[in-house]
Amino acid sequence: MRGVVVLALILLVVFPFLPFSYALAVLTDVLIFGLFAMSLDLLLGYTGLVSFGHAAFFGIGAYVAGIVGIHVGPQIYLTLPAALASAALAALVIGYFSIRTTGVYFLMLTLAFSQMVYAAAFKAPFTGASNGLAGIPRPTLGGGFGFADSTAFYYLVLALVLLSYWIMARLVAAPFGKSLRGIKENESRMRAVGYNVQRYKLAAFVIAGAFAGLAGALRAQFNFFVAPDTLYWTTSGIVLVMVIIGGAGTLVGAALGAGLVQVLQNLISSYTERWPLLLGAIFILFVLYAPKGMMGMVDQLNNKALHVSTLARSNVPTRDDDGRLGG
Amino acid sequence: MASVQLTRRDFLKAMAIGAGALTVGPLLQACAPAAPSGGTPLKIGVVLPYSKVYAQLGDSITKGMQLYFDSVNNMAGGRPITLIKEDEENDPQVALTKTRKLIEQDKVDLFTGVVATPVVYALRDLLDSTKTISLISNAGGNDLTRKRKSPYIFRTSFTSWQVASPLGPWVYQNVAKSVMIVAADYGFGHESADAFKETFTKAGGTIVGELYPPFPSTDFGAFLPKIAAAKPPAIYSFFSGSDAVNFIKQFADYGLGKDIQITGSGFLVEQDVLPAEGMAANGAYSTLHWALTLDNAENKKFVADYKTKFNATADVFALQGYDTARVIVEALNAVKGDTSNKDNLLQAIRAVKFNSPRGPFVFDQTTQNVNQYIYYRQVRDAGGGQLQNAVLGKTDQPVVDPGA
Amino acid sequence: MTSDTLSFVAIQFLNGLAYSLLLFLLAAGLSLIFGMMDVVNLAHGSFFLIGTYVGLTIVRVTGNFWLALIVTPLLVGALGLLVERSLIRTLYDRSPLDQVLLTFGLAFILMDLAKWVWGADVLALPAPDFLTGSVLLLGGQFPRYRLFVIVAGLALAAALYYLNEHTSFGAVIRAGVADREMVSGLGINIARVFSMVFAVGIGLAALSGVVAGPIYSAFPGLDFQVLITTLIVVVVGGMGTYKGSFFGSLLIGEVQTFGQALFPDLALFLIFALMAAILLIKPAGLFGREAMD
Repeated sequence: MRGVVVLALILLVVFPFLPFSYALAVLTDVLIFGLFAMSLDLLLGYTGLVSFGHAAFFGIGAYVAGIVGIHVGPQIYLTLPAALASAALAALVIGYFSIRTTGVYFLMLTLAFSQMVYAAAFKAPFTGASNGLAGIPRPTLGGGFGFADSTAFYYLVLALVLLSYWIMARLVAAPFGKSLRGIKENESRMRAVGYNVQRYKLAAFVIAGAFAGLAGALRAQFNFFVAPDTLYWTTSGIVLVMVIIGGAGTLVGAALGAGLVQVLQNLISSYTERWPLLLGAIFILFVLYAPKGMMGMVDQLNNKALHVSTLARSNVPTRDDDGRLGG
Repeated sequence: MASVQLTRRDFLKAMAIGAGALTVGPLLQACAPAAPSGGTPLKIGVVLPYSKVYAQLGDSITKGMQLYFDSVNNMAGGRPITLIKEDEENDPQVALTKTRKLIEQDKVDLFTGVVATPVVYALRDLLDSTKTISLISNAGGNDLTRKRKSPYIFRTSFTSWQVASPLGPWVYQNVAKSVMIVAADYGFGHESADAFKETFTKAGGTIVGELYPPFPSTDFGAFLPKIAAAKPPAIYSFFSGSDAVNFIKQFADYGLGKDIQITGSGFLVEQDVLPAEGMAANGAYSTLHWALTLDNAENKKFVADYKTKFNATADVFALQGYDTARVIVEALNAVKGDTSNKDNLLQAIRAVKFNSPRGPFVFDQTTQNVNQYIYYRQVRDAGGGQLQNAVLGKTDQPVVDPGA
Repeated sequence: MTSDTLSFVAIQFLNGLAYSLLLFLLAAGLSLIFGMMDVVNLAHGSFFLIGTYVGLTIVRVTGNFWLALIVTPLLVGALGLLVERSLIRTLYDRSPLDQVLLTFGLAFILMDLAKWVWGADVLALPAPDFLTGSVLLLGGQFPRYRLFVIVAGLALAAALYYLNEHTSFGAVIRAGVADREMVSGLGINIARVFSMVFAVGIGLAALSGVVAGPIYSAFPGLDFQVLITTLIVVVVGGMGTYKGSFFGSLLIGEVQTFGQALFPDLALFLIFALMAAILLIKPAGLFGREAMD
């Protein structure tokens, strides 16, 4: 198992040296969306908050990184923190109001807020209004070193995404994460036991928003451009789809889902004009046959493999490293 | 999903799967259909919307290109032409991804397309930094050939200013001394309105009011009574696509057509939307760089050939595709198919001059936008409810976009 | 108030009313489906658009608008039934996430099928001749067709109200919305009721599509534009209640109309701000039952 991980990580690291410059661009995009999707998974899969307005933070991060980069300076210690902070602040405000509702009403309220942000970005002159904001610079590190080169930028994205994943993974493994899961499973019970549920929800919302903002900033810098559609509800919808398809509540599932959906969308539309039909059919097939998403499928395959291998070995039930009964 | 304890093993497993899938995915995508690389075929990357709201326009432009390429047996500069089409879905981010693919993977020799202005602005930096020679066949945002111009980007279509500004003085002289402006509330709508305002007021006209319905809109019911209340003798309007259809129809529904003359940017009443607008559009004045009924040999041939090949009525978008294709062919012929010398190719494109169905076609040497006559048109019933834009006249000189 | 202002307000009120009633037909269907089956049907706008397309095809072939008005909801409702039996049925005990994914996927499929069949051009659905043009009303010109929409819409609203309050079918619906298990326990074939409800909801959406056709035309993208407004109405009004759909539509329709007339710059922002405000004060909507945990 360790070998596979190392191999995969090596692959990610050496990818730029392979002769696939277009694939590198796609991979960069996939990593960015992976981060975006993982941040939503924190809300969705762990806290049980189904947000239909996550694009708001993605977009705010993107616009702030763009505006700061153009008007203040492209230094990385200016643009990224500004984007993160703005997204977190927005999440604080929007979250504070949104968590007063639950279920479908929460869904719609988050949608409402993100549409308001969209409307503002569409009209405001300093965002480039409907034409979008162009000429966004790549971040610089000072001393003349910048990330204009696609390989350099890829490594920046890879590093930040891996770091973010690590932080989120630690969070969900820690008591904080366990509390979130408790809230997802039974909110009233958590309340009865004495947890300040609203505070936990808000914290999750802000953290998720911050990471989404980081993803947005990276995207704006990647494309040198951001358009209001980044904030439109269809973006919130597609990232939601990514998390569900990948498998909610697993973090990595979200990243996988992001990869799959991005690749599918681009690949299929290159082959045929009928791509919405195929994409829609794939979504439906997932709901019908892979309800736990891609991670669910992986788990199933894994269990089958475990089952087969232990059957082959002996009849005596043994426990494997994780304490699970095999055989 | 049952709560999972994130053990170290799970963590590693997850990372492995994640990393693996993330790398395999893009590799898979890189295997998307790519044209044969290297060798003789001339690869032209086409990024147009083939789905969602502007699909009709993407379709027309493509048909126009195909029509011309077929007429020269699909050869340019002695090389066979291969079109690699990608759907931009009217989304700037998607367009960026597709354009990257065309440039980095398919290694196209030329780039063309783009319907919507925000999309072209998203692509501009990428095209410029990769020195990809591009012929934009629709997006008319002024800045593309002004503040944001690039030596590698040409525009074969129009600028919003070019199309709208000649209408100002003409309306003042022939239609009304005061006008109300009603335009879609986004970049292009405002540009169009501003251009008209400028020349109309300079000629002595008064603007009695300005309305900017949200973009997109399906229901103009809230705005139409306002127009009625202001009682302007005429309106200047810009909408396109479904907005244009609904606006024109609802304008008639509210009885405004009786006392208020419709004038506007040609897209308001072009052939793509006239069938759905029906008699509500009858009599509307507009300016555009082309009209179906233009009386010259090239246009008659173009319209007839288009009808024969596609069993459809040509529109200005098809015309733009047709001319773009011709530019490509003429330029490639001039350099004898050699795309390796970019400077030569750029010069050849700049030097292209021919008689297009829209009249004389030539690139402005500074802005690389097309200099062209603009026609004054009126929607008329050609018989049996078939609406067409009749040509009433044209500008004295070809209209040159100021470029600044 | 001067007579001009009065006339302006009156005309705008009528505008809003016509718009509200179109929204009502859509919202009623969506609200019903959610209230009864807890399913958020993101493909609702797609059925609306298909209704417009089917309607205009019938008008083209037969030249009869009224025929289209009657036949379209039946045809599309039947399609809805098919969809319910094959796909929606799997969602009843599933999480809202699965519903989002499935109905989203369905919306994509329907959108593409519609484009395949009817093409990408904007298509017009002509109103019957005697309903075209405008009449002088309250000092201004008002389209005859929108008057028809108001009249027909109110009639339908009344019919649905009667159905809801005074028939056993309506009773079953209301009971099912309140407590599904109970209804099942009373021996009623809940699966069949669900199918009927979904089909009716879809039929209403398609009907709305035909009625809206002469005003909105048909084009790719209309489905999603309409969906969002419908969702707002249903949530603001309160999911699953008839009163909610009706008054929600009225509120949103009038606010949207007056908003556009008075503050066009803020129009888009305004409607979402309103929805947010209402949800914050009454989290289950104006007439909705309290959201369950």
